[in-house]
Parts: sequence; structure tokens; C-alpha cells
Amino acid sequence: MGTAGLVLPPTLWLAVFFLVPVGISAAYSVGALSFFPGEAALSLDGWRDFLDGSAYLRLFWKSVKIALIVSVASILLAYPVAYYIALCAPKRKYVLLLLIIAPYFVSYFLRILAMKVILGDQGVINSFAYWTGLRAQDDPIPGLLYSQTTVVITLVFVFVPLVALPIFVSLENLDRRLLEAATDLGASRFTAFRRVTLPLSLPGVMAAFVFVFVPTLGEYFTPLLVGGTDGFLFGNSIADLYGASQDWQTGSVLSLFLLFMIAVLMAAFARFISLRSVAAN
Amino acid sequence: MSELDKLFNRRLSRGQFVKLGAVAAGTTFLAACGGDDSSGAASGSIEDEPGNLSVLEWAGYEYPAYGGKGATGVLQSYVDSYAKPTYTFLTSDDQALGKARAGSKFDLVHPCVSYVQDWVDLGYVQPFDTSLLTNFDKLNPSLVENSQIDGKQYFIPVDWGFSSVMYRADKVEPDGEVSWNLFYDDRYKGKISWWDSPIENFLIWGYTIGQFDAYDWDNWTDPVLEDAKKFLIEKKKLVRNMWSSQTDFDTDVANSNVWIGYAWGGSFKAAKDAKLNVVYADPKEGRLSWNCGFVLGKDTQNYHHAHAYVDQWISAASAGWIIPNYYYGHTNTTVDTSAVDPELVAVFKLDDPTALDEAHIEQYVPDRRRFAKAWDEVKAA
Repeated sequence: MGTAGLVLPPTLWLAVFFLVPVGISAAYSVGALSFFPGEAALSLDGWRDFLDGSAYLRLFWKSVKIALIVSVASILLAYPVAYYIALCAPKRKYVLLLLIIAPYFVSYFLRILAMKVILGDQGVINSFAYWTGLRAQDDPIPGLLYSQTTVVITLVFVFVPLVALPIFVSLENLDRRLLEAATDLGASRFTAFRRVTLPLSLPGVMAAFVFVFVPTLGEYFTPLLVGGTDGFLFGNSIADLYGASQDWQTGSVLSLFLLFMIAVLMAAFARFISLRSVAAN
Repeated sequence: MSELDKLFNRRLSRGQFVKLGAVAAGTTFLAACGGDDSSGAASGSIEDEPGNLSVLEWAGYEYPAYGGKGATGVLQSYVDSYAKPTYTFLTSDDQALGKARAGSKFDLVHPCVSYVQDWVDLGYVQPFDTSLLTNFDKLNPSLVENSQIDGKQYFIPVDWGFSSVMYRADKVEPDGEVSWNLFYDDRYKGKISWWDSPIENFLIWGYTIGQFDAYDWDNWTDPVLEDAKKFLIEKKKLVRNMWSSQTDFDTDVANSNVWIGYAWGGSFKAAKDAKLNVVYADPKEGRLSWNCGFVLGKDTQNYHHAHAYVDQWISAASAGWIIPNYYYGHTNTTVDTSAVDPELVAVFKLDDPTALDEAHIEQYVPDRRRFAKAWDEVKAA
């Protein structure tokens, strides 16, 4: 099989399931297609309304903020775990790795529902607070369920195992002789970490950041289930526009804008994560 | 005028227009490829049809979950005579319309009456031949009439129910006569749940704060809608969650996450099953109500099968099953409610064919997007 034979199937796949839908969305966004027959009329009104300070644009920046918090928090929690598994537990690392990814054996939906059980007014945390007398009955910890905080907690819980993997891979491939050389040259353990380990693991960290930031930016499901009135995000607006609003034009505008912003972000991150370093990992 | 305005207000040149249209034309062609002008109108007999009936249905309304299995199963005789239909599930009327618009084909869909005009506008449905429905003459005449468009029976009404305020009687003390105003009561901040639905939240505002007939769309001028939007944004801080799935609401009630909420009959049943002390209110402004049923796909190849299936749904046996099991009403007026829990019959007025006349029955919304946009702004605020 020649190169063309290898490339053709994924190219066709990408064309049919990515480029064509994007093209259809583009047509909806400028009114070339419409939800109801006979309504189509070319217009850039959808784009103008969106970019001209709409509530949707403000919601986008709210989603960016949440995505940044979730990404950074996930990396901060996952890095020590990945570090320990890769560098401190050589004999048990694959068992520990299996334990880390064990939550992925359970469906995404169930993992989010589990958070409702843990964070609800009669959930594990509040029940403990009532039992210890830290909170009175009918006075649960505020904001624990149905808030932006809940969305962040839930997404971090979901993403930490995913984030740990690329960081683990980059640390696992670290040339240990560099750490020995740093020690021989008088570097403390912290200095060796700061000057050698951390910089060399950055491609993994950056990959982990992208793995979390991109899906969180368009996240719809978690805010829907645990976000309450405060956790409504950009992805929920897109779902609403395609659903209850029957406004596929604005929905397409928002979708394409999100796609464009993610493309810009990926281009920026491509400077940090070269294909060569990913291949090396 | 800002640079942004200049950019968008600029008239497109012919060249620009052609370029922009090229993408549109290509995608229109692709979208059109899935189309089929052939109509599955009545012809031949049921034996000539493939019989692979496909139904876009609410979860819990599929065989055997609906009506049970075996000799007493409501849909059993259809399944025994033909075959079990293939079900695809919907979670809202809007989602169902979206699936249809995206090209999915179904023989039958189970929307609510306020969306029937949308289905007709979409060009997706055809009228039923009521002479093929042996139980049709037993249906509530006012619901039948309410569902006709241009005198044609595009919709067969089946299940109906109320939407109202449900509250925990052991936690909530309404101030005087019960009102939808409980949704805006500062005393219960963080214990209130609204339904995440654009139309109903504005209707409730109209009937309470606005003090006008909210189903008269002429009353919804731009300033009125703006007032409603501002009010709902302000009161949103009292709301713990806006539910989009009844199961979520039922779970929240059961776990005491909320005490007051927008509820259908099924939620009252779930709360009663959980041994909670709840009241399904009769607010002074009147309950809202809904009525769902079947529309028939324009391109169906199972015209007679679809009629046979709907005929089972509108039978007295079906009515006798849905009332005690889901706490919903049924449009078949010959149902015997004497065996049903009297509290249930009283709360939902199941023995009163005129019960819906006292409620605000759902109606077609001609400018749904306007309300939806305002509602999105409430949620995004």
C-alpha cells in the first residue's frame, strides 16, 4: 500500500466528519441555510450581533476563565502524582498508573453524577458537617453544589487522571544522567528539579494543559448537571441555540467562533509542543 | 459608527457575494442530498408495508416500559401482530425538531401540541386518516379541536397534564393563597428550582408580575419582554438549579436540595414514592398545562402501521395504564378512574374532562426565538 493509500482513509474521514459539518455550519452562520424552509437569506447579522458585545461573548470569556482555572488546578494536582509514579516508584509504576486511570473504567456520566451524591445537601460532605456539628441541619455548605465551584471541582476530578498521563510520559523519558550531573555539580534536589526536571517535562505539561483547556472551553455536560444557575457556560449557550431557540444561525456563529479560538490557541501552543518532542515522548 | 458596524453594514459586492454563496451552495446541495420528496401517503394495505416502524419517543413511553408486557400490555397486541417498533429517544420538543431538521427520518414523533405548527412548517408531517383510528371518536373533543391546523388532523392528542408549583409542605409556608410567586420568594433563596424553558418562565412572569393574559402574544411587546427579562435576572439568584430533565428535579427534591419547583405530575408521584410531604399546588393564577401526542412522518413507508400503533396508544386500556403509573391524564374519555387513588384523581382532576379549561393550555409560539434569546440572556447574566 502506497502513501496515498495510507493517507486517503483518514483524509476522507476528516473531510466527511469535520470539514463538511464546518462548511454546513458556516452556511448556517451567514443565513445561507435556515432551520425552517424558506427562511434562508444571506446576512452577516448573526456575526455582528455576536461580536458587538453580546451576552454570548461575555459568556465566552467566563468559559475561558473557568477553563484556565480547571487546567491549572488539574496540572498542579496531577504533577506530583505523575512525578512520584515516574521517578519514585519504579517497581510499582504501572500498577499505580492503572489505579490513576481506574476512574476511566466508569462512564463520564456516572462520574459526574457521583459528584452530586458527594456534594449535595444530604451528600457525603454536608452529612459529615451536620454530624460533626460544623453546620446546622438545613444549613448546608453554600456553593458546594450547583455553582461555578462545583463545575471546577467536578472537571478537575474528571481531568486529573488524563493530565497525569502526558506528564508521566515526559518524566518517564527523562534522561536520569542529567539529574545525576546536576547533583554532582552541587545542585540541591529542588534546584535540580527547577533547572532540569521541570523544563524537560514542560512539553508534557503543555500537552496536558491543551488536553484540559480545549474540551473545558466548550464544556456543556458538566455545567448542565452540576453548574446550577451560576455555572452556565458558552457550550450551554451553543446547545440552547441549536435546541430550544431553534436559532441555528447564532448557534453556528458561536460554534465557529469557538473553533477559531481553539485553532488560534493550538497554533500558539504548537510553538511549545513540537511534533518532534511528542514523538520523542 | 464603530469599525465593526462598518464592516457588517458594508454591502457585499457581487464577487464577495458569489464567494460567500459558494460555500453555502455546496453545503445546501449536500444537505439537500438527504431529502426525499416521495410521500408515504395511504396506499395499499398494511401487509404491503415493511413494518419496521420507527418512533421518536420520550423515555418511558416505549414498549414494554409503557403499558407493560404480556396479555395486559397496552402495546402488546401491536407488537404481537407486527413487530416491536424501533425507538429513538427525545428529551425535549426542540431537540426532536432539531433531529428532524438534521435529516433523521421517523414514522411517528411524539411532540406536544404547541410544536405541531413547527412540524408542519418544517414540512416533515402529513395529516392522519382518522377513519383508520377506531378509538378516535372517544377522544376529548376540545383537545382534538385544539390540535387541528387548517381543519386537518396533523396531531393525535394522547397524554396531557398540568405544570404547577410543587413544594415541600413541611418546609415551605406560602404567604396567603398559593401563587406562582413562590418562585420569587426571597425566604427560600437557594431552595427553588425553575424549569429551564424559555416560554414557561416568561408565561409565569406574565401571569403573576405582569398581570396579563400571557398566552396572548400581542401583550409581549419589546418593553414588556425587557421588563420580564430584568426581573428574572434579578430573581435568578434565588434559584438553586434550572432543571432540564425531570429526573434531575426529582433527585433534587428527594435529596432536599430544593423545596419549591416547577413540576409535572410525574414529579409529584416521585416525591410521594419517596414519602415526602409535598403539595401539588393549584395557584391562584391557574396552572399551566400540556398536551402531547403523535404526528405522522410525511415520508413514512409504514402509514398503516403508524395508524395501528397510535390506535393502541389512544385506547381506553392505554388511558387506564398511564393515569395510575405516570399520574398523567389521557385524552380517551371512556377511561374508568374508579380504581385510581382518589387523592391522585382529585389533585390532577383526572375524572373531569373540562379540567384543562381552567388551566392555561399550551399553545403555538409564533416567535419562539425572541423568547429564547431573552431567556438565554437571563441564563448568561
